[in-house]
Amino acid sequence: MTAIRLPRQSSRDNQDETISFFWNNKKLKARKGDSISSALLSNKFQIIGRSFKYHRARGVTSAGVEEAGALVTTGKGAYTEPNVRASTTELSEGLFVYSQNAWPSVRFDIGSILNLFGRFFAAGFYYKTFMGKIFTGKIFRGIPPLEWGRGTGIWMFFEKFIRKAAGLGTASRLADPDSYEHLHTHTDILVIGSGPAGIQSAIQAAQTGKEVLLVEQDYAIGGTYLSWPDKSEFKTQISKLNKQNITILTRTTAFGLYDDTTIGLVEFICPEERAQKPLKPRQRFHICRAESVILATGALERNYAFVNNDLPGIMTVSSARTYLNRYQLLVGSNIVISTNNDSAYEAGLELEQAGATVTILESREQIGELLLQQISGRRINLYLGSAVAKANHGVFSPCVKQIVMARKTSDGWRQSGSLSCDCLLVSAGWSPVIHLASHQGCPIEWNKENACFISSGDDKSIFFAGSAAGIWQFEDCIQSAPQVARKTKKAQKQSSIIGGWHTDIEPLYEICVPAIKGKAFIDPQHDVTASDVRLAHQEGFISVEHLKRYTTLGMATDQGKMGNIIGLALMADALNRPISDVGVTRFRPPYTSISLGALAGAHRQSHFKPIRRTPFHNWSLANNGVMIDAGLWHRPWYYPKQGENLQDAYIREATITRRSLGICDVSSLGKIMIQGPDSTIFLNRIYTNPFAKLAVGKARYGIILREDGMVFDDGTTWRLSENSYLMTTTTNHAAAVMARLEELLQTRWPELRVHVTSITDQWAGCAIAGPNSRNLLSEIVDDPSEISNETLPFMGVKQVLLQTIPCYIARISFSGERAFEVYIPSDYSHAMMQFIWNKAQMFESCLYGLEALGTMRIEKGHVTGAEIDGRVTIEDIGLGKMASQNKDFVGSALRNREMLTSPNRPQLVGIFPKDKHKKFSAGALLNEAGKTKGHPLGWITAVTHSPALGHWIALGFIEGGLTAVEDKHIVLSDELRSIFLDVEIVSPHMYDPEGTRLHG
Amino acid sequence: MIQISCPFCGKRDHSEFSYGGDGQINYPSLDASQETWHDAVFLRENIYGRQIETWQHLYGCRSWLLVERDTRTHEIFSVKLAHADWQKMMEENR
Repeated sequence: MTAIRLPRQSSRDNQDETISFFWNNKKLKARKGDSISSALLSNKFQIIGRSFKYHRARGVTSAGVEEAGALVTTGKGAYTEPNVRASTTELSEGLFVYSQNAWPSVRFDIGSILNLFGRFFAAGFYYKTFMGKIFTGKIFRGIPPLEWGRGTGIWMFFEKFIRKAAGLGTASRLADPDSYEHLHTHTDILVIGSGPAGIQSAIQAAQTGKEVLLVEQDYAIGGTYLSWPDKSEFKTQISKLNKQNITILTRTTAFGLYDDTTIGLVEFICPEERAQKPLKPRQRFHICRAESVILATGALERNYAFVNNDLPGIMTVSSARTYLNRYQLLVGSNIVISTNNDSAYEAGLELEQAGATVTILESREQIGELLLQQISGRRINLYLGSAVAKANHGVFSPCVKQIVMARKTSDGWRQSGSLSCDCLLVSAGWSPVIHLASHQGCPIEWNKENACFISSGDDKSIFFAGSAAGIWQFEDCIQSAPQVARKTKKAQKQSSIIGGWHTDIEPLYEICVPAIKGKAFIDPQHDVTASDVRLAHQEGFISVEHLKRYTTLGMATDQGKMGNIIGLALMADALNRPISDVGVTRFRPPYTSISLGALAGAHRQSHFKPIRRTPFHNWSLANNGVMIDAGLWHRPWYYPKQGENLQDAYIREATITRRSLGICDVSSLGKIMIQGPDSTIFLNRIYTNPFAKLAVGKARYGIILREDGMVFDDGTTWRLSENSYLMTTTTNHAAAVMARLEELLQTRWPELRVHVTSITDQWAGCAIAGPNSRNLLSEIVDDPSEISNETLPFMGVKQVLLQTIPCYIARISFSGERAFEVYIPSDYSHAMMQFIWNKAQMFESCLYGLEALGTMRIEKGHVTGAEIDGRVTIEDIGLGKMASQNKDFVGSALRNREMLTSPNRPQLVGIFPKDKHKKFSAGALLNEAGKTKGHPLGWITAVTHSPALGHWIALGFIEGGLTAVEDKHIVLSDELRSIFLDVEIVSPHMYDPEGTRLHG
Repeated sequence: MIQISCPFCGKRDHSEFSYGGDGQINYPSLDASQETWHDAVFLRENIYGRQIETWQHLYGCRSWLLVERDTRTHEIFSVKLAHADWQKMMEENR
């Protein structure tokens, strides 16, 4: 096949603007408006790529999304995009295009030697070879694929070579430099496809006053119209279309149809536009919502299975027509057409008129009078009852050179001579594009008369028009445009116009002639052959779902748009059942491949999730704070002095805090205002401990359980006045606690007059801890008597004016020292922190971060999210006394279940290494010495070096708790880090267990 | 991508909402027996068809809602405020 470029027909297009591009780094010229396929064909390149498994030469097989041969890589470096369909991608100035899966060149490819060994690479080859008995040397057990893990060593070794030999394009490993956008698009009616039926549907819908969006995946509007020689009808329709208020998006694929008539659209921005405006995104991902969607998605022409049906130079009939009329390319001079239906004749006539010799092999014994009249007197040879049995390539070229014909006889197909040709066009029927309806689970039925699957939408919001509904005649397609707005769908009786051939189509899926052997492809992109399907049948993989997975039929990037039906037909034949019984796998989005970048949109890198900064954030940074992610929050981790690392810093911070004074940002704790006359009743129901008698001006530590009796969250709650409380939660559970309180108030106890408000962001909080904490506060409050041990005892709360600003001071300690939490309105946080910090310079003082905070809480045995992981009861964390026996609360019924009250449950303990110089890590397991295999006795949740104790310590859980293991020899094992230690299990209150430091 | 019509905020994407659970459970009082609580917390119908479930308009008005949804098609038939008095007020003021 050598394509011939013809002059353009209309005078307007006659300028013939040329653009240049690079094919495997060679500079070539093409016409503006060319696709990559038409540009390569016009430059006489027929071999575009090498196939997935057998490295067979492949060329252009279509002019649309069903393309299985002409897959290329475009762009260079970070802009590389593999597996681009050359037939649908528009050529842009300076585009780099590369062939795939070939070395050293696509013309001469070393890997094609695999083709000679092809019979060894049938379906299931890898499973059978690398995971079966041969290499394991052990007894064969189970079905090979289920033996994963056995014999995989050898697979691991060979995998890299196999992966290198098999495959398509290679993706760049560089970050994608392009940007992508997300849009929410709303319209009344979405029309997908801009062929005759699509344009007509859009016009009709717009005439009723509806808002209409028309999307077209191609870079030109028109669909089938573009493949017609006569453009007058098209021009009339376009001018009608332009008179209506219709939004038109070209280069836009509707890739998926979802609930509520939500459609995923990916819009490619015109490369020319991007060249001028580089800040434009590469693609836009539209989440489109419509009242109804009209699928005018057309139909795809199929080929059929015969030996060597994948040679370059073999394509569908309709694509030759598209290349002729849209791109002015005559795909060959000596053309053979093989068909089973009427649609091929128009193309045959046009190709003959353009100067080619045309031979038609018609599989039907008879065709209509009309067709016969049309071809009479033209240079067209017609062979009735004939088809192709085999295609042969030339001696020095892998392109089609000759075909072996088959003739229908009473005992099936028989070889009947040969024809030379430079191009073979195939049409074995049409498959309506019903994919989107299938995404939504609309029923799909096999239509025997037309040899295709048909869907008719859901009659509510999903409608079909044109050949997507299995309607073949132009006038019928125009008629079929649904009157969605007028709700006259039912009256249309669309079924009556389905089909419309002059002579019935005759199913044609495979030509198999005795004595002709070779590969007949049904899924050329994945190199799945007709014999693979028969092998699958022979080995018992007969359901379509198994067939698909065993042979990988339809699992390549084209998703079997052309080949799936042939595969089904062959399986039906092997099973001796009709195709309707074999069924079809449900189509899944996306219809054509879409880039992950489009799905991610702007949600990448630092935009992947929001950042929450505390009101002290900038102040902390200015004071040398190093931040750490804690959920969405960025919290100060440690404040290093010159030359200090994390460990130096936190040990210093914890030491100075215990010795004198430390200040820490605790703003990320959840803060919830609870207000209303029934607040006390509410709190008494949700906390395990009593809240009914909490005095105004006092705080209490409380625990909330889930309904199943497990610990949900903990924190202090302060009674600010008779009817208002400030609840604090852990940083991690702040949002969940808030939602839970709202749920209880709105769904369970609507009678309670309580209102909850999150005030986390409105208040900044800092902890002032250490023996000098009260001395510092005396310096910052107006009246130091307000904060004496008598007026503000442990768990006391007070509103005070700091520099005229009303703030709260609560005497609460997480560190175990004498400590206060000062809550400041966020707007004043920066100035107030500076004020406090300036005063702190009178003492030996430091800022401390999350790491030192963690150290001090581990020393004290205070629990956090590491221990309250959703699997522990209140007894497990040693706080059983906080569960009131005198009232009912959320979780009180179910926490007493048998398994939750067992004394053997793992309980919170402290852990010391026997050798005080040893270091270890969280996540290590605890076992009895000599029993380190199997289920462990316990585990470590948090580890720190304790400056107060002078060695590494940890919190963890162990079965039965401290008393159960007192006389046991416990070892710690951390297999991953190879740490094995003898440890001592101690009380979790490892430092100042009596609490004298915090009460003073 | 279902949309839920919040009685306060109007029709919004489901990504603004968070799913709660079965909306037809009659939760017992806190002093009910362990068995009663067990059944309320752990036993669920696996409904094929219409069910009433709770959702919270988390990134909106934060109302807890009772949504009647078809588990097969995701079609939503009704949305009400879970707080019965509020729902009544909404209806009266409509």
